Amino acid sequence: MSDKPLILTVDRNRRNLELLRNFLSKQGYEIICASNLDELDRVLSESTKINLVLLDVSGFDQNIWGRCEQLKTQAIPFLIISAKSNYIAAIEAESLARGASSILVKPLVIKQLLHLIRSLLGD
Amino acid sequence: MSQGRLSTGITGFDEILCGGLIPKQAYLVRGGAGCGKTILGLHFLLAGSIYDEEALFITLGESAAQIQQNASRIGFDTQTVSFLDLSPESEFFRENQTYDIFSPAEVERESTTQKIIESVEKLQPRRVFLDAVTQFRYLSTDEFLFRKQVLSFIRFLLDRDATLIFASESSPNAPDEDLQFISDGVIHLSNEPQGRTIAVTKFRGSDFIPGFHSLTISSQGMQIFPKLRPEVHEKKFIMETISSGIPDLDELLYGGIERGTVTILTGPTGVGKTTVGIQFMKEAAGRGERSVIYTFEEKKETLLARCEQVNIPVRHMVENGNLLVVPIEPLHLTPDEFANKVRYEVETQATQIVMIDSVAGYRIAMRGADLVAHLHSLCKYLQNMGVTVILVNEMENITGDFRATDIGISYIADNIIFLRYLEIQGKMRKAIGVLKKRVSDFEKTLREIEITRFGIKVGKPLTGLRKILSGTPEWDDSYQGRNER
Repeated sequence: MSDKPLILTVDRNRRNLELLRNFLSKQGYEIICASNLDELDRVLSESTKINLVLLDVSGFDQNIWGRCEQLKTQAIPFLIISAKSNYIAAIEAESLARGASSILVKPLVIKQLLHLIRSLLGD
Repeated sequence: MSQGRLSTGITGFDEILCGGLIPKQAYLVRGGAGCGKTILGLHFLLAGSIYDEEALFITLGESAAQIQQNASRIGFDTQTVSFLDLSPESEFFRENQTYDIFSPAEVERESTTQKIIESVEKLQPRRVFLDAVTQFRYLSTDEFLFRKQVLSFIRFLLDRDATLIFASESSPNAPDEDLQFISDGVIHLSNEPQGRTIAVTKFRGSDFIPGFHSLTISSQGMQIFPKLRPEVHEKKFIMETISSGIPDLDELLYGGIERGTVTILTGPTGVGKTTVGIQFMKEAAGRGERSVIYTFEEKKETLLARCEQVNIPVRHMVENGNLLVVPIEPLHLTPDEFANKVRYEVETQATQIVMIDSVAGYRIAMRGADLVAHLHSLCKYLQNMGVTVILVNEMENITGDFRATDIGISYIADNIIFLRYLEIQGKMRKAIGVLKKRVSDFEKTLREIEITRFGIKVGKPLTGLRKILSGTPEWDDSYQGRNER
């Protein structure tokens, strides 16, 4: 087990996952990915110590909020990522209520994302 | 090619640019879809291969293979051109590589920039064409960054001694004014129903021919026809009188018509205008001179056949190279294209008489507006070059009140010769007269003219008749020819 912080990225879009992985691993983070709920469940059930979750809610149904609750229970900090939408206020409210540290709207600005991750991981 | 200029590969375009592009500058070529930006770029790149200059085509839209294939269709061999293909590959679609987590600017800019740098460093190109720079817009998060990026890109190339043309896909939704400020030269291409045009509006460090110029794209690539500027053409010539070869007609004209003048032959249909015009060419052929007839209405064969019938050996003249008959198809040419055709005949074939048959035909056959102005400019040019111009002008009315021309072109003419039908004692006869002659005096009477199988016959002055211009003259009281009454 390396001492690099471990980040779990969750996204329905594989290309998004790939880009996140490329970018974050360049920044010195360990990455695991999940592209659907089953994968997410499997990762969470394994005893790996996850430092942070980046969760892109686009394309997921209501069940995703249950997983957020689970993250909150397991005390894993997580960021919600969402596409621009008319319901962004509702999504934001829901996310914060489920314990998200913050909500980010796509497209993400790389510099800002990096700052946020660093501050959450207490680097 | 002027000293220190780069040929664009298009003769007419080099002329507009007063010799070609100035090296180590960046030029913007803008226009909507299908205007010919890529073809212009290819001409530019291929022109360099003659001098063994390295040429680089950077494509962000069309794939290199597509461009090469299309280029070969118009006879371009792109082997000497290097391509940097930054267009999306089909995998992008097949493997669904769309993404939204980051903006394209964040994801793609670095790799695009890196590829351009590598390619330029490796090839050291002298000529670069970028199609299309507007794609960079999607790689910048805002206008400021876009401008900065394009500027630094240009600087990067110019520092490496390259000359750059970059295409811009301009549309009302995505204006490109910012790019026009950045570049050293701006070339506009447009494709309107009236025809394709090219215009230069900015060219740092050089003069250029302003205005819109005609352009065609054919299987030979792009051809550009610079707008005619009569004032820059001049040739020394002696303003001598050229004879018609018919003594009585020459007498009417006090010797003939002068070189470097414009003569309008006006009259109703069938009266013999074209024949009189060609008569001057017959005489010129005898002196070994070359003439050109641009026929807008009549077929070449008909014209030749009927001239032969009135004893003008046109076929012989054509064979000897003393006469060229050029039929012009309606709506095929723009005035600039036509003017360039005429220029070719004058400047490389030493043509001395040009006849346009007819003015109405010219107006109908040419695309575009303001045709009298174009005709005027063409005539001015021919005058400056010492060419004798004959304009055939058809009048609609057969008899009746006299008018010189129908379409207000009299002011162009130095000479106006008119032909009329006369009705004398129930018989149709024809008369010829002179209305205006700028250079010399002329006979103020009319003469009868007949066109017979032996040629043109011009009679003695018709004195003793009055109201000739009305077409139905009456005998003057002084008229003595009683036997004709």
